[in-house]
Amino acid sequence: MADGGTAGAGWSQRWPEPAAGLVPNWVYTDPDIFAREQERIFSGPSWLYACLEAEIPNPGDFTRSRLGAREVVVVRNRDGAVNVLVNRCAHRSARYCMTNRGTVKEFVCPYHQWTYDLDGKLLGLPFRRGYKGKGGMPEDFDPAGHGLETLAVARRNGVVFASFAQPNETLETYLGPKMLGYFDRVFDGRKLEVLGYMRQRIPSNWKLMMENIKDPYHASLLHVFLISFGLFRADQESSMEMDETGRHAVLVSRRAEDGDTAATGQMRSFRERFTLQDPRLIDPVREFPGNATVVLQTLWPNLIIQQQSNALAMRQIVPLDPRSFDLVWTVFAYADDKPELRERRMRQANLFGPAGLVSIDDSEAMLLSQAGIAGSDARDCVVELGGRDVADAPTMVTETLIRGMYRHYRAVMGL
Amino acid sequence: MIAAPGLDVPGELRLRLADLYAAYDDALDERDWERWPGFFTESAIYKVLPRENFEQGLPVAMVFCESRAMLADRVVALREALVFAPRLIRRVLGAPCLREIGSDGMRLGCSFALFETMLNEPSTVFLCGRLYDRVIEDAGVLRFAERIVVTDATNVPLSLIFPI
Repeated sequence: MADGGTAGAGWSQRWPEPAAGLVPNWVYTDPDIFAREQERIFSGPSWLYACLEAEIPNPGDFTRSRLGAREVVVVRNRDGAVNVLVNRCAHRSARYCMTNRGTVKEFVCPYHQWTYDLDGKLLGLPFRRGYKGKGGMPEDFDPAGHGLETLAVARRNGVVFASFAQPNETLETYLGPKMLGYFDRVFDGRKLEVLGYMRQRIPSNWKLMMENIKDPYHASLLHVFLISFGLFRADQESSMEMDETGRHAVLVSRRAEDGDTAATGQMRSFRERFTLQDPRLIDPVREFPGNATVVLQTLWPNLIIQQQSNALAMRQIVPLDPRSFDLVWTVFAYADDKPELRERRMRQANLFGPAGLVSIDDSEAMLLSQAGIAGSDARDCVVELGGRDVADAPTMVTETLIRGMYRHYRAVMGL
Repeated sequence: MIAAPGLDVPGELRLRLADLYAAYDDALDERDWERWPGFFTESAIYKVLPRENFEQGLPVAMVFCESRAMLADRVVALREALVFAPRLIRRVLGAPCLREIGSDGMRLGCSFALFETMLNEPSTVFLCGRLYDRVIEDAGVLRFAERIVVTDATNVPLSLIFPI
């Protein structure tokens, strides 16, 4: 694969000018770009979200996860440490783990029964010495050199991250102090409990998911449900914040106590008479310190941490090819939640996921984006709202977070 | 409409249950969603969840309604609020099987397949799975007190917008 600046058929793979305010459509379609993303971002020195520790509380517990194109098994070993092992047998590359979750003493590949311990070490293989002196592995075969591929692991307050490369920075440094503060706001050390999973396959480029969460502009216009019930509106106090690199961000919204309707004139989606027969669906209680009611954190490259009223979820992005990705929702609660709060979380989950009264709008918008991009590689998307710079902003009417992400992306991708 | 072996079900009840299922299907197949909440009791539970959660006892559902009013709210949202690309969902159901008659109502199971047709695209299989229903006599009418929709796929193609 050539470095940046390769010319394609009939279009130039050169970032358009003004660079900060434009995103070329070919980043959403080109297979070479996708391959380079896998190499430099997902296999590079990034800390990728893998799972919650609550999914593997005891020794031998495992859960599968997908980090970019590769599937991994996250397992707690006998000492309580967490290992992230590639789900690929060191023998003939077969996927050795076929279930999403479970408890094991060791991993046995079904194909030829190569057996590994919970640290990925090869314990044994049938007929290593052959049968009656014939066949078998060569004399110099060393099991120590044929263990499962293991990843670097970082854990913080119940969340597991992993990396295919050994990052040159700790998870804490990778996130930076500002992002770490928001991370710790939700993951404050309290024990977590997984309430369930939702998965959906979205026919669009994976970066459009990140852009969607870094784009408060659409949220205040597209989502009739949020707007009409005052759950998220452009006239609410808000802030868009990034780490120093621009790769991570938070979108923070503070719901006004009184129903300010001054800006609803510009919101075509506002429905004055839209009422609910059963208002329990949108009946949040304040549970976090401070006055933020929505904090959506995008952690590069594969995680969105959702705190939207009382609905908590990890949204894991799994790129499949340039034009599709899986979105895996892990809905969670705190283990010490009162039943009443837990019910609220379950009810508010109606707004999110593949059937979410808010999220459906987003999924469908991504479908429309990818459909519009088709055949228009030589065209660009405009992200100039709020200027062409990359800086934190105290408004929803800005695309600064998207610009920040692409500034980092271009540096990593050599574009 | 079939009954589990050994279950003595009067012919008239079989017909009434068959009518309930047929009328429900008719409403949804004709996209007459306003009729949909009426097939449920006032405090009905309606959930759509992947088999993954169902079998592991994980409570989260993609759709989680705890009253007829919440179903009605879903319909209003579908008509007034949600933005989605035009599509049709065609429902194909197997024969509902009455498995048990208990003090809290009749329990039925039924397999379903949903086909999705996006505008100008060929039809595809959208979801398939099993309905777990509890039907009761509600003021002289048979209504669903519970419909748990369990999807075989853990992975939904894009969006689940319409009632099942």
